Amino acid sequence: MGKHRTWIQIAILLVLVIVGAFAVGGSFASRSPLPVVGDKAPDFTLTDLDGQTHQLSEYRGKPVVINFWGTFCPPCRDEMPAIQAQYDKWRQQGFTVLAVNLGENKVTVDSFVKQLKLTFPVLLDPDMDLSRKYGVKLYPTTYFVDKSGKIEAKQEGQMEQDFIERNIMKLLE
Amino acid sequence: MIHNTKCECGHQNHVGTVLCESCGKPLTDEAGNEPLEMRYDGVARRSQRAKRTPLDRVWNFFSSVKIAVYLIIFTLLASAIGTIFPQEDTFINLDPATFYKDTYGWSGELYYLLGLSHTFDSWWFRMLLFMIGTSLVICSLDRVLPLYRALSKQQLRKHPSFILRQKVAFEGDLPQSGVNESTKDWDDRFADALRKKHYRVYREDGALLAEKNRFSRWGPYINHIGLIIFLLAALSRGIPGWHMNQYMEFLEGSPKAISGTNYYLLNNQFTVDFYNPDEMSEGFRQRDVAVPKVYKTDAILYECTADCRVADKQPVLRELTHQQIEVNKPLKYKDLQVFQFDYSETPELLAIKPMLTDHSTGQSYGPIDLQMDNPLPSYQAGPFTLTLKSFFPEFGLDDKGLPMTKSNKPLAPAFVFSLTGPGLPAAGSPYMYFPRQIDKVNFRQDDINGALGSRFDLSVGSMDDVKIAQYTSYLNIRVEKAMPYIWFGAAVSMIGLIMGFYWQHRRIWLRIDGARLMLGAHTNKNWFGIRKEVADALGKTGIDVDPKSLEKGRNRE
Amino acid sequence: MNFETISSSALLAAFIVYCIAFLVFVLAVAGKGWSSRDPQEHVKRWGRFAFAASVVGFACHLLFFFTRWYSAGHIPTSNMYEFMTFLAMMIMFAFIIVYLIYRTPVLGMFALPVGIIVIAYASVFPHEVQPLIPALQSYWLKIHVTTAATGEAFFAVGFAGGLMYLLRTIDFKGTSKAARREQRGAEFTLFTIVTVIAFVSVVFGFHAAGYSAQFGKQVTVKDPQGVEQTVTQKIDYVLPPLFQPYDSQLISMKPFLGMDKPPMTSPSWMKGGNAGRKFNTVVWSLLAGLILYAILRLVARRRLGEAIQPALAGIDAEDLDEISYRAIAIGYPIYTLGALIFAMIWASEAWGRFWGWDPKEDWALITWLFYAAFLHLRLSRGWQGKRSAWLAVVGFLVVMFTLIGVNLVIAGLHSYAGV
Repeated sequence: MGKHRTWIQIAILLVLVIVGAFAVGGSFASRSPLPVVGDKAPDFTLTDLDGQTHQLSEYRGKPVVINFWGTFCPPCRDEMPAIQAQYDKWRQQGFTVLAVNLGENKVTVDSFVKQLKLTFPVLLDPDMDLSRKYGVKLYPTTYFVDKSGKIEAKQEGQMEQDFIERNIMKLLE
Repeated sequence: MIHNTKCECGHQNHVGTVLCESCGKPLTDEAGNEPLEMRYDGVARRSQRAKRTPLDRVWNFFSSVKIAVYLIIFTLLASAIGTIFPQEDTFINLDPATFYKDTYGWSGELYYLLGLSHTFDSWWFRMLLFMIGTSLVICSLDRVLPLYRALSKQQLRKHPSFILRQKVAFEGDLPQSGVNESTKDWDDRFADALRKKHYRVYREDGALLAEKNRFSRWGPYINHIGLIIFLLAALSRGIPGWHMNQYMEFLEGSPKAISGTNYYLLNNQFTVDFYNPDEMSEGFRQRDVAVPKVYKTDAILYECTADCRVADKQPVLRELTHQQIEVNKPLKYKDLQVFQFDYSETPELLAIKPMLTDHSTGQSYGPIDLQMDNPLPSYQAGPFTLTLKSFFPEFGLDDKGLPMTKSNKPLAPAFVFSLTGPGLPAAGSPYMYFPRQIDKVNFRQDDINGALGSRFDLSVGSMDDVKIAQYTSYLNIRVEKAMPYIWFGAAVSMIGLIMGFYWQHRRIWLRIDGARLMLGAHTNKNWFGIRKEVADALGKTGIDVDPKSLEKGRNRE
Repeated sequence: MNFETISSSALLAAFIVYCIAFLVFVLAVAGKGWSSRDPQEHVKRWGRFAFAASVVGFACHLLFFFTRWYSAGHIPTSNMYEFMTFLAMMIMFAFIIVYLIYRTPVLGMFALPVGIIVIAYASVFPHEVQPLIPALQSYWLKIHVTTAATGEAFFAVGFAGGLMYLLRTIDFKGTSKAARREQRGAEFTLFTIVTVIAFVSVVFGFHAAGYSAQFGKQVTVKDPQGVEQTVTQKIDYVLPPLFQPYDSQLISMKPFLGMDKPPMTSPSWMKGGNAGRKFNTVVWSLLAGLILYAILRLVARRRLGEAIQPALAGIDAEDLDEISYRAIAIGYPIYTLGALIFAMIWASEAWGRFWGWDPKEDWALITWLFYAAFLHLRLSRGWQGKRSAWLAVVGFLVVMFTLIGVNLVIAGLHSYAGV
């Protein structure tokens, strides 16, 4: 009987340990729902202005810059030519930019893109689900994602040419 | 620590037994005269064993009530510390790293750095709750099984020292009132008196056990089971999909997707009513403050069936339910609940339906339906086509003098069309349109449009063609699948509490040796009540005692 | 004559009758040596009168409650004044229940003052019937608030019993370290009670004299759109300002003892104008409490506990212990149901979450945990007598902090109107 009882005790304690791991472990999981530098960039699928869909995971193996922007945000507008220039310079190496618009309508975005002659994919996020998923608070916010899909750097606010270039070079290494 | 666990009555007891499981004779402190310690009827707790393995040590740790009380006190202190400053999750959209320092100074910063600003989410607080849960499981198991064993096979005839060392005890001679009264008769009458008080009476030659409300002994354990269910249910909220919580703003009149779901919600109309002064008491009227009586959102919940979240396309929506959301009256649909949280007055243009007038012919065409949240690539008004080139929700000029929008909200909307049709170049002529009269004047629409402006005019006939949202309703969207289990746990716990606190387990042992009568009584609470019952029963059978005199060891402290 | 006036008069009547009942209880217990009759008979006879008076007072209190309910159209538990008067009513109810079980007149001597002080404290808050805001428009207002208050009322009776036990058993002549600590503890508890009485008297005194002062303070507020605005917040003082709010301007002040401006400013870490006003009130209460306590000490020429002890002579201490414990044992399930379970149900109906660690919820849990520890210590570790009595006394302080302190010190979702 004594042996029997020991097994019951072990079983009970084992169940408790599992429940405890779930309880305590849960606190770490719930603490940081937003991606930070070093995390894997959350995947998404969005359509661009031509109606073509883009999925982040399809770009695995290539460095990607994810830029959250809006036509209503002057620094976002101001950094666009710099991004375009860097895109032109590095696209041959497989580098790409995914410029995620902050919930504006297509007409507004389209006329802006034509005005600035932007050629990289500009994605529409009509309900701003993605910017919420990434926890974008300030505009613009840019994520530099490396070949393995990991966030290498995050920048809030306007970027200059050489800043973008330095980070792209790091991604291409 | 090793002493003989065999009682003189011949019963072999477990290690750790205080009172012989059979006759009740005290095993550890035989010579004493103090009232006996009757907790768990003196049986050994399961964890009390001669040999101890590491497993036993862990088990014994959680089996201790002392540890349980420490855990309760630590949780209590942690909860108190957690209320010193508001917790992080009280705020929506706030950077905690700077907030605590800016608002409360160095103490706030320290609070934040120590992680106390999310006390209730922290691993150590969860650890405390988990340890309380463990303690509940092990303490209960360790006590309820031996107690059950002890109470289900009680020996009637107890050792004199067991009976007389009860907290309520009596020793005396049988009354000699009736001439022919034998021992048995007195015994019968005493048993009847107790039965009238709802005791169950068991008898054996010269010995008697009366017992009632034994079920109340299970109260604490049922309570503990309820608490364990409650804690597990609370924990289950961590299962993916079992818990959702988000705050969203809904402008009147435009459906909005609820992120993470396939649902859309429309704030069809928002209304707020204030109390009339004549509904207020005289004293309150003098304070002259407006108190909202009711605010509610007339809400329609949709499910998106096609074209969901695709830019440039209207989602196809199917109405699921139409409900009024008020404070205390949420919208409910399956697991989804939507609560009225707050509102604000935000007048904003939603849609406008202007007519296109050609002054050269005097003809009017249209109307065209311009929706601010979803302008279409082109509109048709009679023979004319208006191709939308640009749309600026809040029109302005940037520092280089180029047109831009200052925000994504239609506060000063501007449309740039390319107009084609009879008498116009095939390539199209640019035509700018400001729906709001004030913008039209401020930004000089007529000057911009020049000659085209004097030939064409876009304008609305009446206010019926203008759709304005007056309010934004802030709603809280939740899914809480664990609720039924939470309530079940709470109910079980409550039943246990009621059983344990509003009834008391009472037992009376009686032993008659010749003409000598020995009586002991025990209850787990309410000694006042049991003293009274014993004295009453004795009184009815001819032994008058003052209830108070029955109690042994009075005023010990 | 409308129902609101009937209601106020009924409360006043209840208050007066309670005071009379209290005096008769004192007469019954303390006066047992005076009359030539059998002391037992004296206590019994006058105790009966006193209890009858308490029941009459309770009836008036019920009249107050229901007429106010009728006149307001909603249950009068919707602000601090209404809640406190209701709590006092439930304390009287709990007293009546426990008295009917134990029939110990001395309990009236301690439980009645608790009820009386709570009514007096209630009357510091604005009295008028207020329209019910949407957040409180739910039948759970009736269920949750009334059951929670009932549970707390039994804790109040447990407190009275515990305090009686302590005053009965503490050795006021003792010079040992333990005895000294006990004497200080009991005296501090009594001082706290005296301070509450002093606070109520001071507020009443200055209110009756029509005293007022006003300060202005620049504060920035954020509207829902996130736009910051600077507005002048007006802070009204009912008590003469010894401390003005930090960084504020005097708008008006009636002279007090020749002062026409506040002598001091509240510390800078007290943000907000109301913090300064509350600080001023606390200082006033402590000052008045000290003065009142000093007067009482001078009259008694002994420590107050020592002065009260003779009245308790001859009372069985173990009975007091059991009364205190029993009241808590009756109250605990009610409190669990009202302050936790019903609260969770309402919270999940109104806010969609059954538990949110809001300060008020949190302190309700702390109270519950405290009494849980009390019960475990008592039932499983044999803490009876003095230790149990101390816990009963401290437990009620926790209850009072949950009810009053949280509203004064920490603001949360449960911000019932405070003054």
